[in-house]
Amino acid sequence: MEAKEKRLIKKIKKGDHQAFAEMVDKYKNKVYVICFRMVGNKQEAEDLSQETFLRAYRYIGQYDMERKFSTWLFRIATNLSIDALRRRKPGVSLDAELPGTEGLALEAILPDNQASPDEKMVQNELETAVQKEIQRLPEKYRTAIVLKYLEDLSLKEISEIMDIPVATVKTRIHRGREQLRKYLIVLRGEKE
Amino acid sequence: MNCSEFKKYSLLIDKVLDGDASSKERGLLSKHLAGCATCRAHYAQLKDSMAMLNLLMTPELPIDFTKNVLEQIPKEKRRLFRRWTAKHPVLATMAVCAVPMSLAVFAANRQSASQAKNAKGIVLTKASR
Repeated sequence: MEAKEKRLIKKIKKGDHQAFAEMVDKYKNKVYVICFRMVGNKQEAEDLSQETFLRAYRYIGQYDMERKFSTWLFRIATNLSIDALRRRKPGVSLDAELPGTEGLALEAILPDNQASPDEKMVQNELETAVQKEIQRLPEKYRTAIVLKYLEDLSLKEISEIMDIPVATVKTRIHRGREQLRKYLIVLRGEKE
Repeated sequence: MNCSEFKKYSLLIDKVLDGDASSKERGLLSKHLAGCATCRAHYAQLKDSMAMLNLLMTPELPIDFTKNVLEQIPKEKRRLFRRWTAKHPVLATMAVCAVPMSLAVFAANRQSASQAKNAKGIVLTKASR
């Protein structure tokens, strides 16, 4: 870890609020991206980001200085987001894989799916569609995809954040990618 | 799907997309893709899905996010104190005991001082007789 960050963390461990504010500023956007892409709701993601930092502050004594700080922080954010998702849907799991039904819900979501999405979709609509596709991914694939493609993290970092072996991270990324591919061809109205 | 070796090549595609493939393997894949429309489409769709993720914009947090987080911290202070007392029970007990003990010492000092004064007074009164 860089020396500057180590100094900052030592200060936070002593209860220095200013040092903590610097840390929040440095990581807030990345934490927010994880939470937002995981839960798909801005207000909820903001609350989860706030809770992530409050927990980091509260448990900073348990943070091991030899390890990467961002890994530790992103792990808190990921776990809080997953907890929020699990709390949200009692009983019915929207999270389960839906073999053979790929794209059905998405068609319902996109009212004008006869029009060629590639040409007509403006950025905003595309955003919404992609976000919805991410939300449809099973939670464990979603986590891997978000950390890999939206946070640009290495497989090793992802394996530490998710607490699973690198080989399992790879499998989840492959499955997540494949799922997204299927959603995309439905979105485009292509055939497999 | 019309590729007899689809399974084999889809594994290779994953390897290439992960950046784990050797140049020989990459060569093997591009040779296959040149002649196989099924795998070519599969590969292009996977790449497009990844590209699509890159189109996502980062949503913005409110400007006062950091301030709001920091305002929540004072509530945490009591917890910090509790954590400290749990970690150092001896010091905490000593700190608690120090208050009445110092009062006792202070009171004892005052008492002995006033006794000394009284004693002096007695001496003086005796002398004045």
